[in-house]
Amino acid sequence: MFKILNKQLIANGVKRMDLKAETIARRARVGQFVMLMADERSARLAFPILEADARKGTVSIAFEETNVSTKRLGNLQIGDSVPMVVGPLGMPMSFNDVRKGNFIACVGYGLGIAQVLPVCRELKRLEYRVLGIIGAKTKRSLLLENQMRLTCDQIMITTDDGTHERKGFVTGSLREMMSHYRIKLVVCSAPVMIAQAVAQVTKEKSIRTLVSLNTLMVDGTGMCGSCRVKVGGHNVLTCVDGPTFDAHEVDYKDLTVRTQHYQIQETWHNPSSLSNLRSEESSTLTRWLGDFLKSKP
Amino acid sequence: MVGGLSKKQAIEEAARCPQCADPVCVEGCPLHIDIPVFIRSLREGNAAEALNKIREANVLTGICGRACSAPCETACILNEEKSPISIRALERYAWDHGHRRQPIKKSSAGQKIKIAVVGSGPAGLTAAVELVRLGYQVTVFESLHEAGGVLSYGIPEFRLPRKILGAELEYVRSLGVEVRTNTLLGPMMSIKEIFETGYQAILLALGAGVPKFSNIPGENLVGVYLADEFLMRVNLMKAVQYPNYGTPLCLGHKVTVIGRGHPAMDSARTLVRLGKEVTLVHQGTEEDIFLKAEELAQAREEGVQLEFLTRVTQIIPDEQEAVAGVKCLRLDFAETHSTAANGWQLLPVAGSEFTLESDSVIIAVGHRPNTQMAFWFKDLQMNKNGTIWTAKNSFMTSLCGVFVGGNLQAVGPLVNAMGQAQKAVKEIHDYVQTQVPKNVKRVK
Repeated sequence: MFKILNKQLIANGVKRMDLKAETIARRARVGQFVMLMADERSARLAFPILEADARKGTVSIAFEETNVSTKRLGNLQIGDSVPMVVGPLGMPMSFNDVRKGNFIACVGYGLGIAQVLPVCRELKRLEYRVLGIIGAKTKRSLLLENQMRLTCDQIMITTDDGTHERKGFVTGSLREMMSHYRIKLVVCSAPVMIAQAVAQVTKEKSIRTLVSLNTLMVDGTGMCGSCRVKVGGHNVLTCVDGPTFDAHEVDYKDLTVRTQHYQIQETWHNPSSLSNLRSEESSTLTRWLGDFLKSKP
Repeated sequence: MVGGLSKKQAIEEAARCPQCADPVCVEGCPLHIDIPVFIRSLREGNAAEALNKIREANVLTGICGRACSAPCETACILNEEKSPISIRALERYAWDHGHRRQPIKKSSAGQKIKIAVVGSGPAGLTAAVELVRLGYQVTVFESLHEAGGVLSYGIPEFRLPRKILGAELEYVRSLGVEVRTNTLLGPMMSIKEIFETGYQAILLALGAGVPKFSNIPGENLVGVYLADEFLMRVNLMKAVQYPNYGTPLCLGHKVTVIGRGHPAMDSARTLVRLGKEVTLVHQGTEEDIFLKAEELAQAREEGVQLEFLTRVTQIIPDEQEAVAGVKCLRLDFAETHSTAANGWQLLPVAGSEFTLESDSVIIAVGHRPNTQMAFWFKDLQMNKNGTIWTAKNSFMTSLCGVFVGGNLQAVGPLVNAMGQAQKAVKEIHDYVQTQVPKNVKRVK
C-alpha cells in the first residue's frame, strides 16, 4: 500500500498528490511515468511524474478528474493509501546531443505544464539555458506558474482569453522566443492540437522537437498494445518505446483517434464533466451577477 | 463448455487406456507426467493417488486439467482411430476429487538458498514450485497487481475459472513460495540489486512479450483492439462491469477477430458470451490453425462464424474514425511455377473482394520480444532479434546466475512454457550446487 502524504488543488480541477513510494522516487528519471490504481476496482492509470523526491521518498503526480477512475483517485484524502504504484516506466528523456549552455525551450499547455516542469528542472541542473513557454485557457486553469518562474531563465505566459499576462497562444510566444534566441531543442507537452501546432512552428525552422504523449494504457509494460500510436509511419508502443517522441514524426490525426477512444463512455458515466464544474466558462450565476453589476450605473 | 467427468465416466474412460509398455503420451507431454500410472490409479477409483502422481511432474494440475492444449492426447496411440483417451479430462477429475491441499515432498538439497523467479505466469509458478521441491527459498516477482500472469489476464474465465486459479495460487503459496505483486524487474529493481539482497540465482520467466502489429490499414481506429488488450480489459480489469470497475470497453455488436491462436479463439468465445456476433477470420486453411478440432467444434457450436482462406486487406473507417466494416479477400490454392510447397501456393482469388459488416475488430497475430528489455537489463547481452542471448542448449544468459525460462525465448502453448521452465530449473539446480560457494548466507 502506498500512502498519500499530500493532496492539493493546484489549479481549476487539477489535483496534485504526493505518494510515499521510496523505490520509485529514488529511481525516477525525467520523462518517465508511473502506473497507479486508485482502488481495487479502478482502472490502471498512467501519470507522468511531476516530482520525485528521493530524500522524502515521495512521487508526485498531477491529474484532472476526467473519468471514473481519476474521480475515485481524487476522492482519496491525505492519509489514505492506493493499492498499487508501479514505475518508473518508459524511456527517460536524453539531451546528450545538445551542448551545455545552449537554449532549450519547454512548451507546456494546460495539464502539460506538470509534465514540462520536471524537464525544466532537469535541464537547469544540466546547465542548459531554459526558456519556459506556458499557457492555459484562463488564469484559473494555469498551474505551477511560480515553480516555472523559479526554474526557467526566461518565461512567457499566455492565456487564451487574456485573463493573465498576455493574450494569445503558446505558438505565438514560441515564435517570438525563436526570433530572440537560437533555440537548439524544443520540448513540448500539450493537448494534441497544440502539440501539432508547436511541431509545425518548429518544423519551419527545422528545430528538433520532442513531444511527450499521453495515450491510454492498461498495463504500462508493453503487454497489451493499448497505447500504440503511429510515429514515423509505423506503430510504436508509447509505454515502452516512448513516451517521448520526435514531434515531427508523430501522426497527430492518429494520435487524436487513439486518445479519444473512450470519450463517449467516459462522458456518459461522468455526468459532472458535463456540468459547469470544470468548464472554463464562468457559471451562469457569475455571468448574471457580472452583467448585473456592470448594468448598474 | 465441457463439464467434468462423473466417477463412472472417469473409471470407464480410464479403463479404455491400453497401458502401453512404451507410452507415447508421456513423450508427447512436455512435463513428462507419468500418464499410464495415474490412469491406473483412476481405474481403481483412487483420485487422491492419481493426483499425487500427477503432482510429481506438474504441480498446477487444476490449471492444466482445464487450460492445457493436451499434446498428450494428440500423441495418444488411440488417436489413430480418432478416439484418444481424454487425458486432460481425467487430470481434471483427479484434481477435482483428490486431496488438493496435500503438501508435496521437499528435499533438502537446496539448503534454503534464496532464488528469485521473475514473472508469476504458468512458467514462473511451475519453476517456483519445482525449486521449492528441491529445497530452495523462492520469491516470485510479478509486475501486475494480481498474480498468475497470462492465467489471470489472458485465459478467460470460462476456460479457467478464477476460483480454480485462486485455489492453485493459494496452494502454491502454502508450499512456501512468496509472491510479490506490483514489483517490476528492471525499473523497480535491477538484476544486480536482486543479487545484492541475497538471491543466488534469477529465473526470468517474463512471457511472450509485446503483441505484434498486423500492419493492416486502419489498425488504430476506434473499436480496434489487439487481443491482449481486449482480454486484459475483460479478464483482469473486469471492463464488462464498467462503470463499477473503472476500465471502459468500447465494442459494437458485430465483431471480427483476426488470428489463429488461442488468444484469437479466447477473444472470440468471450465475445460470444458478451452477446456479440463474432466472425473469426484466418488466411490459412482449417488445418494450420493452432487449435484442436474439438475446440473449433465448440466455437462453432457457440456461434462463432469461422472464415478460413480469407485475408483482411483493410479496416474501413467511418466519419468518426470508428470501424465501419472490414474489407476481405478470398484466397485459394493455385498452381505456381515456384518449387516451394510442391508448386502449390495460396493466392488471392480475382474479384473475390467482399466487405464484412462489423463495428469492432480484434487482432491477434502473435508476439515479439519486448523492446524495453535491453533498457531494463543493461547487463544482459541481447540477440539481434531482441531476445535475450543464451548459450546453445542452455538457459543461462550472458550473466552468471541469470536464467531464462518459459515463453521468453520461443513462443508456444502453456504446457510448453511449463516444460521449458522445468528444464531451466534443472539447470539452475546444477548451477547452484556446483557454482555457489558453500559459505553463502542460508535462510533459517
